[in-house]
Amino acid sequence: MATYLEFIQQNEERDGVRFSWNVWPSSRLEATRMVVPLACLLTPLRERPDLPPVQYEPVLCSRPTCKAILNPLCQVDYRAKLWACNFCFQRNQFPPAYTGISEVNQPAELMPQFSTIEYVIQRGPQSPLIFLYVVDTCLEEDDLQALKESLQMSLSLLPPDALVGLITFGRMVQVHELSCEGISKSFVFRGTKDLTAKQIQDMLGLTTPAMPMQQARPQEHPFVSSRFLQPIQKIDMNLTDLLGELQRDPWPVTQGKRPLRSTGVALSIAVGLLEGTFPNTGARIMLFTGGPPTQGPGMVVGDELKVPIRSWHDIEKDNARFMKKATKHYEMLANRAATNGHCIDIYACALDQTGLLEMKCCANLTGGHMVMGDSFNTSLFKQTFQRIFSKDFNGNFRMAFGATLEVKTSRELKIAGAIGPCVSLNVKGPCVSENELGVGGTSQWKICGLDPTSTLGIYFEVVNQHNAPIPQGGRGAIQFVTQYQHSSTQRRIRVTTVARNWADAQSHLRHIEAAFDQEAAAVLMARLGVFRAESEEGPDVLRWLDRQLIRLCQKFGQYNKEDPTSFRLSDSFSLYPQFMFHLRRSPFLQVFNNSPDESSYYRHHFARQDLTQSLIMIQPILYSYSFHGPPEPVLLDSSSILADRILLMDTFFQIVIYLGETIAQWRKAGYQDMPEYENFKHLLQAPLDDAQEILQARFPMPRYINTEHGGSQARFLLSKVNPSQTHNNLYTWGQVMKYSRRMSQQMKCLSLRKGFTWKRLSHTEKILFQLLTGSSTI
Amino acid sequence: MAELYVKPGNKDRGWNDPPQFSYGLQTQAGGPKRTSLTKRVAAPQDGSPRVPISETSPGAPPVGPPPLSSKASRPPPVGSSPACSVEPTNFPVIECETLLEDVLKPLEEALDDCRGHTKKQVCDDISRRLALLQEQWAGGKLSTPVKKRMALLVQELSSHRWDAADDIHRSLMVDHVTEVSQWMVGVKRLIAEKRSLSSEETSEEKSTATAEEHQTVPGIHRLHNPVGSPDSPQTIS
Repeated sequence: MATYLEFIQQNEERDGVRFSWNVWPSSRLEATRMVVPLACLLTPLRERPDLPPVQYEPVLCSRPTCKAILNPLCQVDYRAKLWACNFCFQRNQFPPAYTGISEVNQPAELMPQFSTIEYVIQRGPQSPLIFLYVVDTCLEEDDLQALKESLQMSLSLLPPDALVGLITFGRMVQVHELSCEGISKSFVFRGTKDLTAKQIQDMLGLTTPAMPMQQARPQEHPFVSSRFLQPIQKIDMNLTDLLGELQRDPWPVTQGKRPLRSTGVALSIAVGLLEGTFPNTGARIMLFTGGPPTQGPGMVVGDELKVPIRSWHDIEKDNARFMKKATKHYEMLANRAATNGHCIDIYACALDQTGLLEMKCCANLTGGHMVMGDSFNTSLFKQTFQRIFSKDFNGNFRMAFGATLEVKTSRELKIAGAIGPCVSLNVKGPCVSENELGVGGTSQWKICGLDPTSTLGIYFEVVNQHNAPIPQGGRGAIQFVTQYQHSSTQRRIRVTTVARNWADAQSHLRHIEAAFDQEAAAVLMARLGVFRAESEEGPDVLRWLDRQLIRLCQKFGQYNKEDPTSFRLSDSFSLYPQFMFHLRRSPFLQVFNNSPDESSYYRHHFARQDLTQSLIMIQPILYSYSFHGPPEPVLLDSSSILADRILLMDTFFQIVIYLGETIAQWRKAGYQDMPEYENFKHLLQAPLDDAQEILQARFPMPRYINTEHGGSQARFLLSKVNPSQTHNNLYTWGQVMKYSRRMSQQMKCLSLRKGFTWKRLSHTEKILFQLLTGSSTI
Repeated sequence: MAELYVKPGNKDRGWNDPPQFSYGLQTQAGGPKRTSLTKRVAAPQDGSPRVPISETSPGAPPVGPPPLSSKASRPPPVGSSPACSVEPTNFPVIECETLLEDVLKPLEEALDDCRGHTKKQVCDDISRRLALLQEQWAGGKLSTPVKKRMALLVQELSSHRWDAADDIHRSLMVDHVTEVSQWMVGVKRLIAEKRSLSSEETSEEKSTATAEEHQTVPGIHRLHNPVGSPDSPQTIS
């Protein structure tokens, strides 16, 4: 098993790919019997400091329906200067620049260590990055001041040649003309009336006959359309002043009313402005909002405070008046922006909901960010916002734009779909499957905004017929081609080509089993579950997840039919049931205790993070600190909560430090200040240092909770741990009982062995079961 | 050189607001991690609930003190803690006062240098912001770290180290935006203008140098031989 773990890790580091299965079942029938589909998590722009890009263009297969890129899996005839495409077997001539190659003088793209390689495209114009700020002015005074300062600060973080624009909105929507002259002008739109793209462009004067070109390069856009988007180096001083002078929305808000906020129209104008001036070039629309849209298209709630914004209960009862129409409005905008290669970020800071449920498609379809905070005047917002502009080891922004991902497979595989921050490009072809999982029916997707951690889940279908022989060569191959605009404005292509062995599931099940990547499988199944949860009923998704787990255990578990205690799973499956247990209680599948906006926020981040972070979200990490040795990982279980331990829990969205009862007493007594108890001071400090490392790097910035035994905030820890101790055997754990209404893992394991789901039993049956098995009650 | 510190988050606005890291700490993050907290423990396969070691029930007498740290004791559980911690730390007080003239004079000189090369309106704008800086400094509205870092910025600017000066301006904008936002953009523009002016001057020098080189090819003896040598025309007797 150790070698497979190494193999998996090496491949992830080199290629940014993790497969659920690393030895592939060779027939369709067997693959479906594996329960977990053949799928992979792909991080297209995984940071590779050791991989400098090559300064030439890739060599393509000449077959028009193939066009795969030359890669280390291709057979090469160095004498005849020919190469055979490993996907379609076409023989291709090398281009003239390759006449000098030989076995000892290979081009980089043929070397096995360059299974992932990046090309820089030299030709074509390099357009600057564009940032369009769309700012809500219906904020409280200090919130608005903090937001203004953050925006002014961001001007110092942007590259000098980036273009920047400003739209402010409240009851009306103002598009600010950025000029170096003294007087600032703006175009004002009513916030109640939706406008088509053409109307917006007409009103902003973007379609007047082009003025004489200011610049020499013909690809530059006419001067007249750049009034609203100017280079930083030209207007930073004026824009700083303009931002500094922004006032709260002047329209008075009467008692019992919400401010009139025209987010829908503001966003519509932003999308239309960019559509008309800079289509097909990297741009970010950054929406900053402090409350829900309350007027015009895309409104999510009315202006009467006594009518609250929709909750999950309202949605279930079909009592959310504005939801369908608003969602449709934002979906239309999101699709238009995605078509133009523009991404939309949402920065929502308010104590109540802001309509993230309706607006989430804007971020999800375009690859934009979604940040949710309590106020713009918090360190959570300020630092998360700063991290958007973080730079890599080369001094370039980590963000990338306008990516298209194309997937090619060898003929035994087809593509079922992708789940992640992307839209379909509707490209049909021989490797597109009819059975869809996620966003299917295509072999190409567009990701308008991405960074080195953006990860897609890509699902495949094995199409080889049962009993058909193993394909020649014994290996299947997949190629991932990502074309994108780098933050330095260069266009680049990253190509990853991977292969895995086929195996006959009937004779080589053990090999397939040993090559199972339970971590990747858990995340891939989770993404499927969350994708389904968007359109299906919650309980149905949980039942589906439970069924898949039972089927997997039945297939791969070793047990004697008459003896429930004999059930065992091999090492490569040992963590999987735990992952599924925590997944079904996670905020991604359980909407109880979260608002619709919060659920949308959690799901947004889950659908795009890499494997390690996704697993943290599914099953939080728990480390225990004590005098007995170095910090160690412990089971996410109530039995890990001990009086003489400090716990550090990372749920991705929160960092929780919890002091056990004895530790808390010692701290209160002040032992850390006494020199003879210096080791206690170090013990208290150790989790703080580790927490700091996480807080320093993560995007978005997590919340930070420092609590102790008996503290009210201890509930964050208690609600996540498996409640293996219930009120029957531990009277003091009153809080644990409150949160243990859900089934404990032990009960679940027991019921798995019995082959049924706990939830389906009637109350009487549950009591009978407990009596018969001698286990404690919940 | 930016400061490295951590201060607590805004507890008024968010009780679980994370701590705020200075610009220096944030840009430094990304190096190799000391500890990677990503391991998990498998649940016991027999499904039995775990029995805790010992539990204190409410009302029991308080436990004794923690174990004493002795010379023979193990090093702290994690490796040596870094200079900064999550809880707030006090920044050491600088002894000498940074003088306004030391900062303002070089900035105004830099602006004068740029006057020929930059548009009048931009220069006026920068000048207005420098006046604002002076007003705020003299009025005691700027904190010591800001003054200290401005002195450093001015040093870097005078030494033509544009990237370093730019980095200091960014660190001030990130860490002290409330104090500096009104005038800092003027300083930023000044750095940019000086940088472009200096690169123009260097390219002018380069082009005159290449022009001279072209001249030296046929008339190389003229350049290498000073006036009064046998080959120069003036000395032909």
